[in-house]
Amino acid sequence: MQELEDNELVIRVVVQQDTAAFGELVRRHQSHVRNFLRKLTRDFVLADDLAQDCFLHAWDKIQTFSGTGSFIGWLLKVAYTTFLQSKRKSSRYGEVLEQIGTESQTMAAGAAGPSDEISDLDRFLAVLTEDERAVMILSYACGLSHREISDAADMPVGTVKSVIFRGKEKIRASFEIEDHQYG
Amino acid sequence: MKSKIINMVDRLKDKEDLKLEALFDTEPVPDDGFSHKVVARVRRRIWVQRLSLPIAFVIGGAIAVKPLSQLIGVVLKLFAFIPQNISKNIDKVPLEQLPPVSSILVAASLVVALLLAGKLLQD
Repeated sequence: MQELEDNELVIRVVVQQDTAAFGELVRRHQSHVRNFLRKLTRDFVLADDLAQDCFLHAWDKIQTFSGTGSFIGWLLKVAYTTFLQSKRKSSRYGEVLEQIGTESQTMAAGAAGPSDEISDLDRFLAVLTEDERAVMILSYACGLSHREISDAADMPVGTVKSVIFRGKEKIRASFEIEDHQYG
Repeated sequence: MKSKIINMVDRLKDKEDLKLEALFDTEPVPDDGFSHKVVARVRRRIWVQRLSLPIAFVIGGAIAVKPLSQLIGVVLKLFAFIPQNISKNIDKVPLEQLPPVSSILVAASLVVALLLAGKLLQD
């Protein structure tokens, strides 16, 4: 099973409802999906619950994977859709983001705070809108191409590029970075 | 000149991109039983899907058995009754021998539901 390509495993799942093949796909891609959702929600427990739901949705809809793009790109699209659906239903995500935003503002204002508890990434993500955050994570954390991000986030390639550009501008402006160097 | 500027911007962006990638980079998440949990949930779901239709069919059948047996009894009575008397005594059939209209409608709708369920099982 381990030597098979993603597309071959997908065919097995679709044709035979092979749970072992699906298990192999989950093993291969769980890290990407969980990392994406953890960065998006900043709540590990919520992210792992969403990741499980994402893989169940993927099982239900796997016949819609056309095989033209990468499987991980399609899976991250399912993950992002699962995240958006869950956010509409639950207020927990909003509470988590609000908490991060408040902490970030405190840090940016130079007040004494729990500097160890908030990473640079948390502070950068907190200044971005939801779309910008998702696109930046898909681009820089998951390494997807602009076209793959366009599929995953359901927006045109041109919009993806401008969202990334805008996201970077916001990060520069929020943290007063003039020489385009982060870190 | 313009292309030079674009190339410079691209190079500058690349440097930024590398920095951002380093910032976003994290350790891979260990599986720690996650894939087993997902596969177990998928298998449960398959069982539920496989069992739900037969269970619904059995429950529907149990609910339908009484009115269905009444309907069959009435139909049998009618078949026994009609051939002998239909031509001569149709106006003399006592009304109390006929089932109430509501019973006939309920039984007929149950039959239709059973036929539909059978069709779904066949599909």
